[in-house]
Amino acid sequence: MNYSLLPLHSKRIALVLCTALSALLLSFSHGEIKAWQVISWLDVVGEGGIALLTLVWLFFLFVSRPPGRVTDLLVLGLSCFMFSALLDLMDEFVRHQSGYWLSLVESIPAPIGMVLMTWALYQWHQEQLTLNQQLRRREAQSRQHHQVDWVTRLYGADYLREQLTKHLDEGVSSLSVLMLDIDNFDQFNRRYGDQEGDRLLRELSELILMNIRQTDLACRYAGDRFIVLLPETQRPQAVTLAGQILESVRHFAFKTRESGEAVFHTLSCALVSAVASDQAEALLDRLNRQLELGRGAG
Amino acid sequence: MSNFAALDDKQLPAHQLAASLIDLACARGVDRNRLLRGTGIFYEDIRSGKHRLSASQLLRLMANARQLMPGKDAAFLLGRRLFPGAHTASANLLMHCRDLGDALKLLGLVKMQFCPFIYGQLHIYNQRCYWLLDDAFGCAGEFQFVLEAYCTALAAASRQLFAQRVPFHFDFPFPRPRHIQEYEENLGIRLRFNQPLLCISFEQKYLRQPCIQFSQTLKWHALRQLRAQRSKINMGFLEAVKRQLQQHRNMALSELAEVFNISPATLKRRLKQHGVSFSQLQDEVNRQQALFLLHVKGLNNEAIAAEMAFNDIPNFRRAFKRWTGSTPSQARLGWKLIDFSG
Repeated sequence: MNYSLLPLHSKRIALVLCTALSALLLSFSHGEIKAWQVISWLDVVGEGGIALLTLVWLFFLFVSRPPGRVTDLLVLGLSCFMFSALLDLMDEFVRHQSGYWLSLVESIPAPIGMVLMTWALYQWHQEQLTLNQQLRRREAQSRQHHQVDWVTRLYGADYLREQLTKHLDEGVSSLSVLMLDIDNFDQFNRRYGDQEGDRLLRELSELILMNIRQTDLACRYAGDRFIVLLPETQRPQAVTLAGQILESVRHFAFKTRESGEAVFHTLSCALVSAVASDQAEALLDRLNRQLELGRGAG
Repeated sequence: MSNFAALDDKQLPAHQLAASLIDLACARGVDRNRLLRGTGIFYEDIRSGKHRLSASQLLRLMANARQLMPGKDAAFLLGRRLFPGAHTASANLLMHCRDLGDALKLLGLVKMQFCPFIYGQLHIYNQRCYWLLDDAFGCAGEFQFVLEAYCTALAAASRQLFAQRVPFHFDFPFPRPRHIQEYEENLGIRLRFNQPLLCISFEQKYLRQPCIQFSQTLKWHALRQLRAQRSKINMGFLEAVKRQLQQHRNMALSELAEVFNISPATLKRRLKQHGVSFSQLQDEVNRQQALFLLHVKGLNNEAIAAEMAFNDIPNFRRAFKRWTGSTPSQARLGWKLIDFSG
């Protein structure tokens, strides 16, 4: 698991701890501890479980979300809920005389927390829509986070094959597929190291993303090979698009970390258009062959 | 001292292989301690390069890396890094070889550094070269990983040495894998799966493909350096046994034990350690030869039987069925080999 977001939440974590602590203090200071025999352990397990799970949710929230408005709302809502749950739990251990106002304190935060969380979830929905927009050209209509490539954060070959099969099954009128391969990538890797190689892959994938349309999808196929899916695109249009990508990569001056010198790259590319009753594997095979042939000639 | 290493012998100078894999996995976010768990390898030893490693240690390391690294490309990334790696005498030897044929010959001397798990044997027939690959140690579950790394290293190294792509054809015994894209990217498009023989083949003319950095003097210099290192180990235990069996067909277990200067019981135990029995190995060696004669040379049953010193055809057919699971005629029908139109 990755805990890198935790340090950013120090204030929120403090808030959660303070809430929990104040619940405990409030309960102990206004009552006396029950005798061992009268404690109902079934209730302790049930109510304790709720309090504990709330803490687990808060933990996942902290490790998975960066700070921000939606995060604040979720933390606040869950904290209120946890406050009530904890007081409820302490009731099993502590007997209270001045029942009335304490029961008010116990029951009011929970519904407030629920309302806050509901509002937060709506905000989260809005946020997700924004993120989906940001992810366009990286993602088609389905999300499979385990298929995302580690280096470039583009989707990998499995996802691409699924999307390609989907397009072909739907019988979309004109689908073009573009395969791009960096020339002399091995040489670059040997000269500047693999870390720089990975960085180059990331930057080039950004560059490719910038050059394609909102409806297109870019994936990392394998190694230094990318594939761009161009739905509803006739061949001439795809050729123009490919030319634009090649052109922009040719002008892209990658600065190496050590000396900051500019290194230029070229791409080899292959382009096929789907024909009726085409299969994904057959289409990819044609692409590979075309790329290899182009390489041999060049 | 013998010239081979058993699975558990800490004799292999393959630090560079281990170091590459460790670096690679760590760069992909794998925790180093988890990666080395159960391998008995200490990171300090890898860095100092003093202690030699055993094949089983390296295999365990590969298994860990395969499980912990995200993605399916670990073996391929490793393969791309293997050569030249650090500029050792071994790397220099290959770097300054004369041509591809020379490189394949010299590889026998230095393979313990780059990829000790697989050995190749060159057969030439009808203007084509067949580099038949085999398991040198008993890699079991890691064999495909090792093979992927080996083939990638070969393809990447040949691009470096000859400054062009040698059109290798790869025949793999296993079915087409899901991560086929890595094969296409690293090995090219001349790939076939579910093949009877594991081999890399190419036209014979490429054997004379000159190396761009050929230098007789530097090559000799590297050879001298290698000799000074006095590392006699140049093959795995299974490789040593299989080479013996190839030379002396129908050798008995006791005779083989005599060659290795150990008792038959010890030999049996050693083989078991490597996950095979004596008769299995014998069958494997025979199987490879029979399939080569049948599929590559296209001989008929009489000719194969004669070549393999069988007295009569029915006997040969029975044996063939035992080795391969099908009769010679079924095998001919099953694989319409070897057409390289694809």
